[in-house]
Amino acid sequence: MHNSQDVKVPFGPQHPALKEPEGFLITLRGEKITASSVKIGYNHRGIEKACEERTYIQDLYLIERVCGICSHSHATAFVQAVEEIAGLEVPKRALYIRSLIGELERIHSHLLWLGVAGHEIGFDTLLMYTWRDREVVMDILALLTGNRVNYGMNTIGGVRRDITPAQAKEVLKAVDILEERTKYYIKIATQETTIIERLSGVGVLSKKDALKLGAVGPTARASGVARDVRKDDPYAAYGELDFKVITAETCDVYGRTVVRVLELMEAYKIIRQIIKNMPEGPIAVRAPRKIPAGEAVSRYEAPRGEDFHYVRSNGTEKPDRVKVRAPTLANVQAVSKMLEDRYLADMPIVIAAIDPCFSCTDRSIIIKNSGSKNSKTIPWEVLHIQSIEWYKERRGIDFSGLNRKYAKGFKI
Amino acid sequence: MGVITKVVNWARLKSPWVLHFNTGACNACDIEIVAALTPRYDIERFGMILKGTPRHADVLLCSGPVTKQIESRLKRIYEQMPEPKFVLAIGTCACSGGVFEGCYSVKAGIDKVIPVSAYIPGCPASPKAIIDGVAKLLVSLEESEKK
Amino acid sequence: MSVEENLKHKLESRFPHMKDTVVVQRTRRMSADVAQERFFEVFDYLINEMQFTHLCTITGMDEVESFGIIYHLSREGEIVFSLRIHISHDNPKIKTVTGYFLEADAYERELNDLLGIEIEGLAPGHRYPLPDNWPKEDHPLRKDWKPESEVDHA
Repeated sequence: MHNSQDVKVPFGPQHPALKEPEGFLITLRGEKITASSVKIGYNHRGIEKACEERTYIQDLYLIERVCGICSHSHATAFVQAVEEIAGLEVPKRALYIRSLIGELERIHSHLLWLGVAGHEIGFDTLLMYTWRDREVVMDILALLTGNRVNYGMNTIGGVRRDITPAQAKEVLKAVDILEERTKYYIKIATQETTIIERLSGVGVLSKKDALKLGAVGPTARASGVARDVRKDDPYAAYGELDFKVITAETCDVYGRTVVRVLELMEAYKIIRQIIKNMPEGPIAVRAPRKIPAGEAVSRYEAPRGEDFHYVRSNGTEKPDRVKVRAPTLANVQAVSKMLEDRYLADMPIVIAAIDPCFSCTDRSIIIKNSGSKNSKTIPWEVLHIQSIEWYKERRGIDFSGLNRKYAKGFKI
Repeated sequence: MGVITKVVNWARLKSPWVLHFNTGACNACDIEIVAALTPRYDIERFGMILKGTPRHADVLLCSGPVTKQIESRLKRIYEQMPEPKFVLAIGTCACSGGVFEGCYSVKAGIDKVIPVSAYIPGCPASPKAIIDGVAKLLVSLEESEKK
Repeated sequence: MSVEENLKHKLESRFPHMKDTVVVQRTRRMSADVAQERFFEVFDYLINEMQFTHLCTITGMDEVESFGIIYHLSREGEIVFSLRIHISHDNPKIKTVTGYFLEADAYERELNDLLGIEIEGLAPGHRYPLPDNWPKEDHPLRKDWKPESEVDHA
């Protein structure tokens, strides 16, 4: 029976989980999604043009605010390109400090994601737990850099602040606490059957499709694609650090969850190495105001995947061209594939599972279908509730029990 | 002021229902707003509840410098909120555009589009600053109510 | 011979017109300029015979007398190869590469919206990333485009 209907799902304002505006147009046949298109663009701020009108140092602060969750990723990627053009040799200590902040950022981002994912499927106590633990990282970042978000740690030629031995001790203490808590999350993720059932087989992206669609980061790694810029194209201190690239073979949202949680464990391992092996020395070299003409490509493994920056200089104090391609833009294409032939109820978690950062992304349009007879608009909040209800009724997956179970042991 | 109005105002003062809207921000302020909900800060104990729709909200927590693409949506959301309504500009971008002032695609400030009741600067505005801002707004409401 | 030098040698042997344009900037960074008419044979070679399976992004830039379009390709675990063409400023047109990389859809729309470059063969779709009500003749990333001053610096 052919019964097709256009359903517009504006991600609009009502999206407590994702926090960013974007719009999806879905074509439904019954309850199954046959086509989807993404329209974003609500976050386009004209940053690349603004970069050409400001000096390199001003651009550093602007680029940092491409995205608040991975601000250090963008700032470092930018500064690496400029340093390469200028032929600066950044002191090793600065590279280690950059890597330290980078891993701390990865931790806060993955914990944030874990909470958001929990919220999407109706497991709200997970949101409360993970964001409580995330505060441990936020405190450390504030201690080291002076701010909880948007750290301003980089300068052209190195970093702006040093790490004292007392601060290093605090970092190690925090890592110990977080590791214990993360082990707890690993236990929940691998032992609670409700979670496993809810997330397995959802949002499937085969290895072949992941490669064809250019997926990056945990989204690609959960499909068995061992792509990680820290290993493929080492930057900062990663060439000297020992860590594993975490992949999963399940190619679904469950795999993306497992990859991120295990990456947390790797991050703790990396941070301990960084503190232990931190070389002595200066934290920055002097950079010229005018950067000699040249160009460079810089890549960084942000929590969401490969962040790509290209900078071209023309011998003045302002760049000629700055190009930013953030990881979500590379992953957003894959969402359409993941939603193909799936239920509307899968939308929230599938989209959340690529850990979308639309302020990083400019926008990506995937139009597979156009022309509709009936069309309706579903606010995100409604879809969120519908999705939880659908899985309760159709699959018997209910998180109210889990919420109660974990809320009991939950203390502020 | 009639009894009903007093009761309604009291309910509003004691537990404002809050809507969060991102007008093109970098996310930093947004995650700090969500952090304000979580155990460390926990604005729910003040009775503040994050609602999903403008039609139930008293207070609009607005972040971001207002990109041109989202401008009409922001206006629409403001119109959908019932009176009396209050708008909080969260973060430096929402107050004045922040680092994005001068960018071609940006209006540079919430008050260029809708009236703002309170400005909470910061890049990002920390959860403490946000709670402080909301509390100050409630106090000023209480005081204007007494008049 | 390093991996990079090896690739440079292969390219120069296979495509004599590329002699003197292939540059090894450092380990894992190479670039080359190629004429627009010969772009696809080199692009195809890099992808199908040299295993450059990932398109990082496409950078477009206004060079005043021309437009530069750089295709940044990467090979797993190794080189980023930036292949550049220069196209006419008066009538900028390129052919789509979405046949090779589906994700190029977004990158090419960006070139169209921000620089006014026409992409032949690109499937119809929404503009990106500019707002719907942005004038179609305005391409902000062009060097001669300046925003109207809306900011009062007083």
